[in-house]
Amino acid sequence: MAEREYLISLWIRVWHWINAILILVLTVTGISLHFADPNLPLVEFALSVRLHNIAGVTLIFAYLFFVIANIVSGNWWQFVPKPPGIMQRAMAQGRWYVIGIFKGEPHPHTPSKTTHFNTLQSLTYWSVMYLVMPVVIVTGLIYLYPEFAPDQLFGYDGLLPVALLHYLSAAVILLFMLSHIYLGTTGKTVGSMFKMMITGWHEH
Amino acid sequence: MTLHQIRTVIAGLLLFAVVLFPAYAQEEKTSAAMTPELLEKIRKSNNECFACHSEEGFKNPPKVEMDLVKLRTLVQDTKAFNGSNHGLMECKQCHGQGYNDFPHEAEASAKLSPCEECHAVKVLKIEMQFDASVHAVNVKEKFTCNTCHSPHIDLIASKLIDPRKIVAQDNRHCLDCHDSDLQFAKFAPDDEKTLLKKARPNIDTIHDWLPNTRRHWQRVRCIECHTPEGKGGKILSHQIMDKEKAEKKCLACHNTNSSLMTRLYRHLIKEEQQKLGFVNSVILSNSYVLGATRNPLLDAVLMITVGALLLGLLLHGLGRIVVRLMQRRNNHG
Ligand code: HEC
Ligand code: HEC
Ligand code: HEC
Ligand code: HEC
Ligand code: HEC
Ligand code: HEC
Ligand code: HEC
Ligand code: HEM
Repeated sequence: MAEREYLISLWIRVWHWINAILILVLTVTGISLHFADPNLPLVEFALSVRLHNIAGVTLIFAYLFFVIANIVSGNWWQFVPKPPGIMQRAMAQGRWYVIGIFKGEPHPHTPSKTTHFNTLQSLTYWSVMYLVMPVVIVTGLIYLYPEFAPDQLFGYDGLLPVALLHYLSAAVILLFMLSHIYLGTTGKTVGSMFKMMITGWHEH
Repeated sequence: MTLHQIRTVIAGLLLFAVVLFPAYAQEEKTSAAMTPELLEKIRKSNNECFACHSEEGFKNPPKVEMDLVKLRTLVQDTKAFNGSNHGLMECKQCHGQGYNDFPHEAEASAKLSPCEECHAVKVLKIEMQFDASVHAVNVKEKFTCNTCHSPHIDLIASKLIDPRKIVAQDNRHCLDCHDSDLQFAKFAPDDEKTLLKKARPNIDTIHDWLPNTRRHWQRVRCIECHTPEGKGGKILSHQIMDKEKAEKKCLACHNTNSSLMTRLYRHLIKEEQQKLGFVNSVILSNSYVLGATRNPLLDAVLMITVGALLLGLLLHGLGRIVVRLMQRRNNHG
C-alpha cells in the first residue's frame, strides 16, 4: 500500500475552505443578529447584516458550484453509503469513536480513491449538504426578499416560520461544524487530516 | 368697583372664554351621545354633498352645468369618510353654511374651521411641538396640520390599532411628499446658492445605511426615528427633528427592549401574552423583528445543546490525551 495517496481534487479543497470561511462568518454574524443586544455586541448589528448578506449570497453560489461540480465529476457517488452492511459499518465506526480510539485500535475505515468517507461520514455529510443546507439557503433567500414570504400564517407574520427554520437549520449546521472540526483531529496524527484537506494527499 | 377690579374681572372672563370654553366644547363633542336618529340626520345631510362629491355622484351628477373637471379632483371616498375620526360629523360643521347650495358661495372656502376650533387643548400642546419641527421652521407658510392630516380619511392610531394600518396611514403622508418630486417641489424652500427650489433627496438613498428600506417603510413609521423619545405620554411628539438628531441605532428596535413597544405597538401592548413563548410576541402577528421577537426557551435549549456537545468533545479530547500519555509512559517504563 502506498504511504501517500492523492485523494482530494483541487476543486474540492478550494470549495471546502471557501465554504468553511463563509460558514464561520455566517455563524458569528448570525449569532450577533439573533442575540442583538447593546451590552454584548459580538459584531455590530448593521455590520453583521451587511457581512451576513454578502456571505450568504456567496454561499449560495458556492453551494451551486458544489452541487454542479459533484454531478459533473461524479464525486456525488462518494456521499452515497453503499449497501450491504451500512448499519454494521456505521455501528463499527461509532464504536471506534466511543471506545476503539481510546484503546489505540486501528481505524475501521481506510480512505481510498473509491471511498473517501467512512459510512458515518457519508451519512452525515449527505444529510447536511443535501437536506440542511438547502433549508438554510432557501429560508435565507426568503429572509433577504421577505416580500416572497407568505403575508400571514395562522395569525402570525409569514416571516416567523421562515426565520424559525433558518435559525434551527443554522443551529444544526453549527452543531455539525463543531463535531466536524473536532473529528478532523482523529486522523493518523492530530493534524494529518487538516493537511490532507490542504494538499490533497492522504497519509496512510 | 375700581378700574383695576374691572380689568381683573374682564381678564378672568377672557381667560374663561379662551381656555375653559373650548375645553368645554371639546368635552361636549365627545360626550354627545349618538342616537340612530342623529346618525340618520347626519348621513342625510352629508348625502346632499355626496350627491356630487363622491364617485357615484360624479358619474351621475344632479346637475350638468358644472365644472366637472374640477369636481373630479374634489371627489370624496364615502366609506373612508364614514369610518374616519370625523365620520360622525356633518360636512357643514367644518365647512360652514356656504356650501349648502350650488353654485357654492364665493367666500365659502374662507369659512373652513381650523382644527383648534374643536380641539383647543390638544392643539395647544401639539402646536408647540409642531412649531419646533423642521417643517414649521424651514417650510413655514405652506405647512399646516392638513399637510399631514386628511380630515376626511384619517383614523386615530388608538382606534386603528392594527400596526400595519397605522404605518400605512402615517407613512403615506410623509412619502406622498418625500417620495414625489412634484409634491416636494410645491413645498421645498429655495436653495441659498442656486436660488432654485431645493432638490428632493431620494428617500432610499438618504437611508442607504438601512437595509431593505422599502420593507422598513411598510412595517415601521418615519416618526419612530424622526421624533424625540416620548416621556411615556399618550401622544407621540409632533416635533420632527433635524436629521442630525434622528435615530440611527438599529438596536433601538432590534432588541428585546424594543422602542417599538412604546411607540407603534403601544396600543396593542395590553395584549402581550408571550404567545408561543416569545418575548414581545404582540409584534408577531405583524412582523418578525430580528432581535426583538425572541423565544428564550428555544434559545436556552439550543445553547444547552451546543454547550453539551462542546463539553462532550472536550472530555473526548482529554480522554485521548490521557490515553496517549499513559501509553507513552508504559512504552518508556
Ligand atoms: C350639485 C353638485 C354639488 C353639491 C350638491 C355640492 N357641491 Fe361642492 N362643489 C361642486 C363643484 C362642481 C365644485 C367645484 C367648482 C366650484 O366650486 O364651482 C365644488 C367645490 C366644493 C369645495 C371646494 C372649494 C374650493 O375652492 O376648493 C368644497 C369644500 C365643497 N364643494 C364642499 C361641499 C359641501 C360641504 C357640500 C354639501 C353641503 C357640497 N360641496 C355640495 C359641486 C357640488
Ligand atoms: C373635521 C372637519 C371637516 C369635515 C367634517 C369635513 N371636511 Fe372637508 N375639508 C376639511 C379641511 C380642513 C379641508 C382642507 C384640506 C386641505 O387644505 O388640504 C377640507 C377640504 C374639502 C374639500 C376640498 C378638496 C379636498 O378634498 O381636499 C372638499 C370637496 C370637502 N372638504 C368636502 C367635504 C365633504 C363632502 C364633507 C362631508 C362628507 C367634508 N368635507 C367634511 C375639513 C373637514
Ligand atoms: C368642527 C369641529 C372639528 C374640527 C374643526 C376638527 N375636528 Fe377633529 N374631531 C371633531 C370631533 C367631533 C371628533 C370626534 C371625537 C370623538 O370621537 O371622540 C374629532 C376627532 C378627531 C380625532 C380623533 C380623536 C381625538 O380625540 O383626537 C383627531 C385625530 C382629529 N379629530 C384631528 C383633527 C384635525 C387634525 C383637525 C384639523 C384639520 C380637526 N380634527 C378638526 C371635531 C372637529
Ligand atoms: C409632519 C406631519 C404632521 C403634521 C404637520 C401634523 N401632524 Fe398630527 N400627527 C401626525 C402623525 C404621524 C400622527 C400619529 C401619531 C401617533 O400615532 O401617535 C399624528 C397624530 C395627531 C393627533 C392624534 C394624537 C393622538 O391622540 O393619538 C392629533 C390630534 C393631531 N395629530 C393633530 C395635529 C395638529 C393640530 C397639527 C397642526 C398643529 C398636526 N397634527 C400636524 C403627523 C403630523
Ligand atoms: C430607522 C430610522 C429611520 C426611519 C424609519 C426613517 N428615517 Fe429618515 N433619517 C434617519 C436618520 C438617522 C437620518 C439622518 C441620515 C444621515 O445623516 O445619514 C435620516 C434622514 C432623513 C431626511 C433628511 C434628508 C437630507 O439629507 O436632507 C429625511 C427627509 C428623512 N430622513 C425622511 C424620512 C421619511 C419620510 C421616512 C419614512 C418614510 C424616514 N425618514 C424614515 C432615520 C430614519
Ligand atoms: C408636503 C410635503 C412634506 C410632507 C408631507 C412631509 N415633509 Fe418632511 N420635508 C419637506 C420639505 C420640503 C423639507 C425640506 C426642508 C429643507 O430642506 O429645509 C422637509 C424636510 C424634512 C426632514 C429633513 C430635516 C433636515 O434636517 O434637513 C425630515 C427628517 C423630514 N422632512 C421628515 C418628514 C416626516 C417624518 C414626515 C411625515 C411625518 C414628513 N417629513 C412630511 C416636505 C414634507
Ligand atoms: C424604528 C425601528 C427600526 C429601526 C431603528 C431599525 N429597524 Fe430594521 N426592522 C424594523 C422592523 C419593524 C422590521 C420588520 C420588517 C418585517 O416585518 O419584515 C425590520 C426588519 C429588518 C431586517 C429584516 C428584513 C427582512 O429581511 O425581513 C433587517 C435586516 C433590518 N431590519 C436591519 C436593520 C438595520 C441594519 C438597522 C440599523 C441601521 C435597522 N434595521 C433599524 C424596525 C427597525
Ligand atoms: C450556515 C449558514 C448560515 C447560518 C449559520 C446563518 C445564521 C443566521 C442566524 C442565526 C440569523 C438570525 C435569525 C433570527 O434571529 O431570526 C440569520 C439571519 C439571516 N440570514 Fe442567515 N445563516 C446562514 C446562511 C444564510 C444564507 C445562505 C443566507 C442567504 C442569503 C442567509 C440570509 C439571512 C438573512 C437575510 C437574515 C436576516 C438578517 C439579515 O438580513 O442579515 N443566511 N442567519
